[in-house]
Amino acid sequence: MATYQEFIQQNEDRDGVRFSWNLWPSSRLEATRLVVPVSCLFTPLKERPDLPPVQYEPVLCSRANCKAVLNPLCQVDYRAKIWACNFCFQRNPFPPSYAGISDVNQPAELMPQFSTIEYIVQRSPPNPLIFLYVVDTCLEEEDLQALKESLQMSLSLLPPNALVGLITFGRMVQVHELSCEGIAKSYVFRGTKELSSKQIQEMLGLTNPSASGPQGRPAAPQDPAVTCRFLQPVHKVDMNLTDLLGELQRDPWPVPQGKRPLRSTGIALSIAVGLLEGTFPNTGARVMMFMGGPPTQGPGMVVGDELKTPIRSWHDITKDNARHLKKATKYYDALANRAAVNGHSIDIYACALDQTGLLEMKCLSNLTGGHIAMGDSFNTSLFKQTFQRVFSKDHNGEFRMAFGGTLEVKASRELKVSGAIGPCVSLNTKGPCISENEVGVGGTTQWKICSLSPSTTLALYFEVVNQHNAPIPQGGRGAVQFVTQYQHSNTQRRIRVTTVARNWADAQSQIQHIESSFDQEASAVIMARLGVFRAESEEGPDVLRWLDRQLIRLCQKFGQFNKDDPTSFKLSETLSLYPQFMFHLRRSPFLQVFNNSPDECSYYRHHFVRQDLTQSLIMIQPILYSYSFHGPPEPVLLDSGSILPDRILLMDTFFQLVIYHGETIAQWRKAGYQEQPEYENFKHLLVAPVDDAQEILQTRFPMPRYIDTEHGGSQARFLLSKVNPSQTHNNLYSWGQETGAPILTDDVSLQVFMDHLKKLAVSSAA
Amino acid sequence: VNGNQERGWNDPPQFSYGLQTAAQGAPKRTPLNKRVPPPQLTGSPCPVPGDFPSATAPMTPPTNPLAPPCSMNTPPRPCPVAAPPLGGVMATPPPPFPVVEHTDSASSQSENEPDVDDVVTLLNWALTACRHTVKKQVCNDVAKRLKLFEDMWKSGKLSLPVRRRMIGLVQELKSCNWDAADEIHRALIVDHVNEVGQWMVGVKRLIAETRNLNPDLLHTQEVDQSLDTSSAGNSD
Repeated sequence: MATYQEFIQQNEDRDGVRFSWNLWPSSRLEATRLVVPVSCLFTPLKERPDLPPVQYEPVLCSRANCKAVLNPLCQVDYRAKIWACNFCFQRNPFPPSYAGISDVNQPAELMPQFSTIEYIVQRSPPNPLIFLYVVDTCLEEEDLQALKESLQMSLSLLPPNALVGLITFGRMVQVHELSCEGIAKSYVFRGTKELSSKQIQEMLGLTNPSASGPQGRPAAPQDPAVTCRFLQPVHKVDMNLTDLLGELQRDPWPVPQGKRPLRSTGIALSIAVGLLEGTFPNTGARVMMFMGGPPTQGPGMVVGDELKTPIRSWHDITKDNARHLKKATKYYDALANRAAVNGHSIDIYACALDQTGLLEMKCLSNLTGGHIAMGDSFNTSLFKQTFQRVFSKDHNGEFRMAFGGTLEVKASRELKVSGAIGPCVSLNTKGPCISENEVGVGGTTQWKICSLSPSTTLALYFEVVNQHNAPIPQGGRGAVQFVTQYQHSNTQRRIRVTTVARNWADAQSQIQHIESSFDQEASAVIMARLGVFRAESEEGPDVLRWLDRQLIRLCQKFGQFNKDDPTSFKLSETLSLYPQFMFHLRRSPFLQVFNNSPDECSYYRHHFVRQDLTQSLIMIQPILYSYSFHGPPEPVLLDSGSILPDRILLMDTFFQLVIYHGETIAQWRKAGYQEQPEYENFKHLLVAPVDDAQEILQTRFPMPRYIDTEHGGSQARFLLSKVNPSQTHNNLYSWGQETGAPILTDDVSLQVFMDHLKKLAVSSAA
Repeated sequence: VNGNQERGWNDPPQFSYGLQTAAQGAPKRTPLNKRVPPPQLTGSPCPVPGDFPSATAPMTPPTNPLAPPCSMNTPPRPCPVAAPPLGGVMATPPPPFPVVEHTDSASSQSENEPDVDDVVTLLNWALTACRHTVKKQVCNDVAKRLKLFEDMWKSGKLSLPVRRRMIGLVQELKSCNWDAADEIHRALIVDHVNEVGQWMVGVKRLIAETRNLNPDLLHTQEVDQSLDTSSAGNSD
């Protein structure tokens, strides 16, 4: 077991890849019998401080429908200067510049340690990064002031050559001209009238009204900095923009008693997308939208302006009582797709005490790789620091954010690509590697990720297509290549290539080896993403049933047991954590939506389907560490049995950090023993979880909530709801109605869940 | 500094720019990423990774004689200093770790009290050098903000950390350490935006323009004169 764990970790560290299985079943039939598909989590821009990029173009296979990149798996004839593509076996001559290579003088891309390698390519003059702020002015004074300050601060965090723009909205939408001198001008749009992209560009004076053509054409952005008055370099307009931001007022339209402010979010976004479309198509750009409430007028409105009509809840949605939901979702979906096509990403920073419409608008960020931050007010450290961290820099002092990404996946011919789940859209490219069974965003081997960070992770699903009893493919290994092209924040265009291989194994004779290659952590996240993806379109109970079925099948396949004897059931160490992951996943906010608002659910899911493995696992099954006088901090079962009077618990759910003081600890703390010098060890005990929490608080994006509570405290519910059987939705799912279908219950403790699972797995009736 | 508990429930604490930037690259002290399999599955009692003791350790009292008593049924012993932590509000943790550098109020350390004139002189030295090549309007805009900075300082509106760090900034400027000066400006605007937000962009621009100047311009006669006259004025 240790060797596989090390192997798995090494591969993740080097290539940013975690496969569900590290030995691949050699036939399609056997692959389906393994329950968890051959699939992986892939982090395209995993931080590799030790990987220096090379300054030349990658060498490609010359076969037209292959074009794989030269990699360490390729066979090379150094004498004849020829290499054989490991995917299509085409023999390719090396380019002339490789004349000097030999087996003692290898180019980097052939060396095994460079299974991941990055190329800097410069095919056209670099484009500056673009940041377009879209700001809601229907905020309370305190909130608006805090937001203005954050925006002013951000001008110091932006790269100096970046272009910046400002659109403000309330009842009307204003596009601000950012000139360096004279009076500030702005173009005002009605918040209710939908305009086409061309109309917007015309009204902003962005089209060239030349006499030669009947219609205006967008001005060619040869010197965009000059032609576009709305997007100007930061280093030129920072002082004026600081003043402009400082002078922003609350939306002047009075809000009558019992009404919401009229917020034209839909039009504001459409103008932002149209502006960028017309001036900087296919360049890295970021729309950053800040809103303090839901859209209440115009296309994309989520709720009306009458306060007595509340914004839709899950109850409304299930009863089909959400008037604006379909139309608004469709509206924002169309905008999101337009932005994605142009490589523009959209961030949403939503700060309000009530919902703001994230359910309808989430595609804006999910399809483009933009962020969603959700807070109570712009005047909170949660928002301020989350926003600051958008601009965080890596060890080289360069921004972590990357733009205009495309990912292409190539595979050995025994594998086909079923699809991807993550913050991407399909590029709809056809090719030989595409499986007919679509999973997630399928039907393609290329996806676009308009905005990426070093933690952005996609789940990729494969299908083994070899026929049963066909011999193991020659060479014994299958391979996958990931080619990610993107614009670095320093405006360089780069290509990162990762090529990995795994051995094929005959499942009939080597099932134990295949089992020991199982990565239960990666598999849990991979299956969870599948579940969440399904939950967006299927009914909740159906997803749970599907999840249960997969878990039971997996246990039947790999458990050691005597038929019909639940007490004999055992799972090897490689699978021992998996059922617990599934137990917690079933109870998580990603699948149990009724404990959270539709917006909260959208927010949680948004982060879940893009984070790397470690963070995703934390979201599925929160980490729980126990601090006591008995020894160093230790991980404990996420179960009510871990709550003891003389322990402090630190729970990390990713979205919250909870420090819970047991009853005795709380009493000691209240009595103030930590202040007394002879009880210094108690003081250290109190401080230990706080210090550990601090490390997480200082780096995580988005910033989590921080809860310090104790036995009997009202905030203790955050811990108790995670460890105890849930009590709130007992009757919402009427399961067990279908004849004979094995179902696991969902409102029981881990113990009872395991008992049920064992019973069903060993049952010969299954 | 604790988060804003009035506006946001369970608002996390606020960290300084410096602390956050440093934390990005630092290795974790205690990586919290281990889990425990449930005992029912492995057939053995709770195999826990590493050497950690079992989660169900018995509730024996700590053997350290200085540890707090394990039973609260006895009447509370009279403590010489029995101040409970931050009375009442259980939701806010006493912050034992350093966060925003609130070094102090003006009541202490008057011997290190920064002098506004030193700072203004250096800023004006840079601005004078810029006036040769940088557009007049930009320079005037910068000057306006430097004046605002000076006024705020003189009327006591700037906290000590801001004043101290501005001294540091102009020292870096004088030594032509542009990146260092820039980093200080960034830290200041992140940590103290409400104090510096209106004028800091002028300092930012000043650094940006000055670093692009022909180095000779930084030591023209009139520039050095402006330095001399001010220091002459300040000498005791």
